[in-house]
Amino acid sequence: MSIKTASSSSSELRVVLRRRRLDLFPIYLLIPSLVLITLINLYPFAAGFYYSLQDGTLLQTGAFVGLQNYLDLMTRPEFHNALRFSAIFALFGVFGSWAVGLGLALLLNRDIPGRGFFRVALLLPWILPSIVSIVSWRWMIGDQTGLVNVVLGFFGIRPIYFLSTGEWATFSIIIVKIWRSFPFMMLSLLAALQTISLEIYEAASIDGASPWQSFRYITLPQLLPISVVLWILMTIWSVNDFETPWLLTQGGPSNATENLSVLSYRYTFLLNNVGLGAAVAFFTMLILMIFALILLRRQQREP
Amino acid sequence: MDEQQRRTISRRQFLTGLGVGAGALVLAACGAQPGASGGASTAPTAGSAASAASGEVQFWDMVWGPPEYIDTAKRVAEQDFTAANPGITVSYQSNPWSSWPQVFTTAVGSGTAPDVSTGGGYQAIQFYPQDAILEIDDLVAEIGVDAFLPGQIDGMYYNGHYIALPWGIDIRIPFYRKDLFEQAGVAPPTTLEELRAALKALTRGEQYGIAFAGASPLGWQSIVSLMYMFGGGFFTADNQLDVMNDRNIEGLTFVADLIKDGVVHPGSAGFQDADLSRAFGTGSAAVMFFSPSAEERVPEIKDQVGILSPMTGPHGDKATLMFANNLMIYKQTRNPDATKAFLKWWSENSLPIWTEGHAGNLPARRSIAADPYFQENPFIKPIIDEWVPVGRLTGNHSTGTFPALADIDAGGMLNTLATDLLQGRDVTETLQKLETTLKGLKSLQA
Repeated sequence: MSIKTASSSSSELRVVLRRRRLDLFPIYLLIPSLVLITLINLYPFAAGFYYSLQDGTLLQTGAFVGLQNYLDLMTRPEFHNALRFSAIFALFGVFGSWAVGLGLALLLNRDIPGRGFFRVALLLPWILPSIVSIVSWRWMIGDQTGLVNVVLGFFGIRPIYFLSTGEWATFSIIIVKIWRSFPFMMLSLLAALQTISLEIYEAASIDGASPWQSFRYITLPQLLPISVVLWILMTIWSVNDFETPWLLTQGGPSNATENLSVLSYRYTFLLNNVGLGAAVAFFTMLILMIFALILLRRQQREP
Repeated sequence: MDEQQRRTISRRQFLTGLGVGAGALVLAACGAQPGASGGASTAPTAGSAASAASGEVQFWDMVWGPPEYIDTAKRVAEQDFTAANPGITVSYQSNPWSSWPQVFTTAVGSGTAPDVSTGGGYQAIQFYPQDAILEIDDLVAEIGVDAFLPGQIDGMYYNGHYIALPWGIDIRIPFYRKDLFEQAGVAPPTTLEELRAALKALTRGEQYGIAFAGASPLGWQSIVSLMYMFGGGFFTADNQLDVMNDRNIEGLTFVADLIKDGVVHPGSAGFQDADLSRAFGTGSAAVMFFSPSAEERVPEIKDQVGILSPMTGPHGDKATLMFANNLMIYKQTRNPDATKAFLKWWSENSLPIWTEGHAGNLPARRSIAADPYFQENPFIKPIIDEWVPVGRLTGNHSTGTFPALADIDAGGMLNTLATDLLQGRDVTETLQKLETTLKGLKSLQA
């Protein structure tokens, strides 16, 4: 009897173990991804934070200094300047590209001649390699022989040196950013526009709504969810953007267009101060994580 | 084989594969760890290649000229040198400038530095404090300091040791448009006072007396050259920071006055090198400071390009900014004798990189500079004869080289100084801002 009981409990245990193994199987499948995520994301994240707490150079880790690099940053005018420019660059870049993208999406959503061609042609700024597009912009606005000043000269306007004063350089870099970013906005908004039911517009029209009222009370609210996601994504990409300021102005003149990414590069690779450079990068990442969390929350809330 | 069996087998296979994969990743991570004690000895690195019995020397060379430069330098290093030194073979690698800090830092940090490399004016001093550069006092003694043009070897001296050989001179020279000077009835100036008057006379409509490339290092280098003509400098003879001195204020006030006179091209703060040479070529600027061979950038008006002679400042100074490009040996070399032999040979025999490779700088060796290729060139001879003797390194009044100069050269603070001035900001405030930034440099605090 006792032998039979023992045999029965042993087989039950095997069943339980087998079930557990089966339950664990999906988790095993996740292990390669977890290892990769740890190596690709978590390690640089931890290493970056570790470096930001040290007084290191590119070749020597240096002494542990706690939060000194962060405190030091707060007193540096170039950091305040980079923070301010990053905010301006992101704000105007995001809403400028959204406005242009929306306008073009509304046009392309209509049955206009050559719609297919324009849909492809307007993607060019997004498709072109950044080095090609930004250097081309530089040629067009860099001096009095550039295309823009030649056109201005045709109308009797004296040359404007778009990259030679802080104000003009800031304006120019935002325009270039808008130009590079609007196709993504346009494409996303166009897709969203095509999901809005025409019946809503027809009902509004029957009720006497003007085109503006239809846009204001139907189109914009329907585009709001995708717009919020686009704003957040574009803000993250703008704050992180290294190539636009670096290739166009290298952060000048007088650091007027130096954002946090360029400043981090300058501290790390040009001034050999890895601690300070890592502190800027980590600070930037914290700002971006706030936006990323907002984005995740929104996505979780959506049905 | 039922479904359950198949699943069990595939799970085992999966877990085995996972184990193998994880092991490989861990091994790869250990092998790639910078500075790991075993890394250099287990992995076949550049350094270990050089230590082989073959006596191979790995030479990393920056791109110092047009495309033909690379082919010529490779041939001279790999074939000409080996023909003269049969026991040693050289492996040549060309490196672009765009990412040199990352490339060399990664190589030194991971134990894969070359045996020898060329580099900018402060590359050796940038890596020397990290214990990465080999001292070459014996080699300098063997060659003799007089083998180099004035001021060159001084820039290689640090803490009682020579840490590199100078091989190429980069210097800032004022070029002028002969035709525009003639049209304005102006003679080439010999003093800074005359220069100011000439620039006024040359400015009319959209034509300006002078332009700068404020968006590139050339901008601050040109302005600092003018400041040196007033006897200015950022350091004392004992290498102490000295930004707010009278000569600096006077020199930069001269630049600020040129801007107030309206003789400086209004695009200067945003110009890069190409914009500057275009402004000069199209005649919207009559004078520009540039590197040697600037006339090649404006071939259509080459015969109208002239080089001003050194101008005397109000205190009798004649000066301009120059750099002594480095040729240095890395401590990681496993074959120092072969590498030193190469370094010495290259320093003496690299003439073809100019005559055939058209390198953009000038030779630091007197013997090479004496070649007809340079002496018969109307654009090069006056630079070697007149400008190099009055050339000053970035430290100017300081002694030898020191780590802060590398940070100042590359750190961007002098770009800010130049663009601040070119946008008409106050001289004293601009210098104070620079002083505050320089005082925050780790290399100066150390």
